[in-house]
Amino acid sequence: MYYLDLLMIGLVWGCTYAMMALGLTLVYGLLRILHVAQATVFTLGAYAGLLVANATGSLALAFVAAIVSSCVVGVLIYRWVYEPVLDKPPFVPLVASIGLLIAMEDGFRLIFGPYGLSFTSNPWFATMVGFGGIQINLVQAVLVITAVVSIGVLGWVASSTRLGVGLRATVTDPAMAESFGVNRVQVRTATFLVASALAGVSGLLVGMLNNLVEPGMGGLIAYKGLAIIVLGGLGSVSGTLLASVLFGLIESFGTVMLDQVMDRDAVAFLFMLLMLLIRPQGLLGKGR
Amino acid sequence: MKTLFTRRLLIATAALACLSGYAQAQNIRIGFQVPLTGPAASDGKTALQGAQLAVEQINAAGGIKGRSLELVALDDQTQPAQAVPIANKFIGDGIKAVISGSYSGPTRAAAGVFQEAKIPYISAYAIHPDIVRAGNYVFRTSFMGEVQGRAAAKLIADIMKKKRVTMINVNNDFGQALSAGMKEAAPKMGLQLVSEYNFGMGDRQFGSIVASVKKDDPEVIYVSGYFFNGGPLVAQLRAAGVTAPIVGTEGFDTVNFVQIAKEAAEGVIITTSLDRDTTDPTMRKFIDDYKKRFNVGAEMVAASTHTAVNVLAEAIRKVGIDDSAKLRDAIGATKNLSSAVGTITFNNSREVYKAAQIQVIKGGEFKRFAVIDDPVLLAPPNY
Repeated sequence: MYYLDLLMIGLVWGCTYAMMALGLTLVYGLLRILHVAQATVFTLGAYAGLLVANATGSLALAFVAAIVSSCVVGVLIYRWVYEPVLDKPPFVPLVASIGLLIAMEDGFRLIFGPYGLSFTSNPWFATMVGFGGIQINLVQAVLVITAVVSIGVLGWVASSTRLGVGLRATVTDPAMAESFGVNRVQVRTATFLVASALAGVSGLLVGMLNNLVEPGMGGLIAYKGLAIIVLGGLGSVSGTLLASVLFGLIESFGTVMLDQVMDRDAVAFLFMLLMLLIRPQGLLGKGR
Repeated sequence: MKTLFTRRLLIATAALACLSGYAQAQNIRIGFQVPLTGPAASDGKTALQGAQLAVEQINAAGGIKGRSLELVALDDQTQPAQAVPIANKFIGDGIKAVISGSYSGPTRAAAGVFQEAKIPYISAYAIHPDIVRAGNYVFRTSFMGEVQGRAAAKLIADIMKKKRVTMINVNNDFGQALSAGMKEAAPKMGLQLVSEYNFGMGDRQFGSIVASVKKDDPEVIYVSGYFFNGGPLVAQLRAAGVTAPIVGTEGFDTVNFVQIAKEAAEGVIITTSLDRDTTDPTMRKFIDDYKKRFNVGAEMVAASTHTAVNVLAEAIRKVGIDDSAKLRDAIGATKNLSSAVGTITFNNSREVYKAAQIQVIKGGEFKRFAVIDDPVLLAPPNY
């Protein structure tokens, strides 16, 4: 039972990472940008959702607020921060992205104060759901379901719709795709919309799990997300999902088995280092 | 016309320069190292407010021999790497005495710099033993971590009458110092440490640890760490159906802890330095004045920085601020000073003895649970 519990917790953590890392890997595949500033979107989604939930008492409206605000800001980041520097060497958008993350972290601190905010009422956290003898709370259950459903839908969109074909074509050869009538800007905007919505929702869910939304909450998960997409094999969607779940599991078991030696984050990054020594191209990346 | 304007501007600038120079000569400037950004920014804000209140009270009462105190605050971002350059900035700016309103990591890093420069340095609430061991210019007006850990052991064994303890520690200077004290005192008190888990300061999700605690089924859970770890941890423990009493540390001594943990915070007991139900006039005055000035309840962090400023101010009143060796000796000679955290006296190792305040959360507020006043158990070490 104990190990089943740990397995479940690892899965929940893995789903959180998957929701962040999926967006990162899509953006990387499309633009070759390491979108560190997605953490800002994650934090923003959490703040927007919390403020709306506390003001209206409605969790449905909170999710709407999280999605809308993160989509708007995500697309603005693309239009205002990345688009002007796309023709520059890759470190330029990366530095812009890191700069934005740091600036926004202190922006949140200035606007919402350093103490962090909590939900006045957090009903999902207190509601336990059980199956097969394992108990998790409703936030964790929603997290897993959201991750699985959104990844499933995205997989279907990518394989079976015109937008998906356009996306894949743009990833493979942007110039050729454009000459076949794929609107490059539209594809990129759609990608940022999806990535940001996922980040915003996971931000709100993590905020509910912690019952704490704080300015710096996105920083760690952003860097972990980067580690995951590197481990997955940059740009490989299935590799990213696999790496996310592996990361979650390694952390959930590592936290209690290696905790005398290193903490959760150290366990995760050590695992990444070891894996990259063995498979430098990532889990499912193609060798170069 | 233009030259006339320039000349006026010059005169005005010169006058301003003189004025500010005059003000600087008049004010007694003390340095205040504090995390205003970064992960501990919230405790930093509270720490700064406690120190500000002390300075305002001293100045309202006529200052020190007619000169006003002035607090010069610099942000260390809770980072040891940042603490060293700002320590050097204090020194470069001619500051003659500095208080740390920060956590153990950065305070420990800066302590060596101030010792080297022979500048008296007081740690207000950073509890790692090595801070004061940096040398004879470094003081601490709060518990050492070990001492607070010992107080928790006595609380669990003698007052709560429990035996089997699981420890959950934050894996930094703060948590290590506390768990060292607990481990040292536990066998003497007849406590049995059934398990121990560690987490990082950035952790907010403790699923694995919660599952493990459930499996270990201890009688008491002892948690070090800060409110931003402890709030989510306590909530997650209670949500998972763990009902064993939880004993925390001064890291939980803030209303933010209650806001995060909500109902789960009820009944959590902490070892700290601030007694909300005190009848001691100095402590009472601090609690009431703080509430009046900032419109929020006082917290341990604020009481500690308030105390450190007063210790320093008393010493400056006796010997001035210019001779650092004299100032150091005057701080060290502090005896029976009544302060916001109780009556304090330094020992030869520049540490203080004071009673441990045990508070419990009831109805969302900190209330007195017990006071452990045991000069032998809680004696700071002499080395």
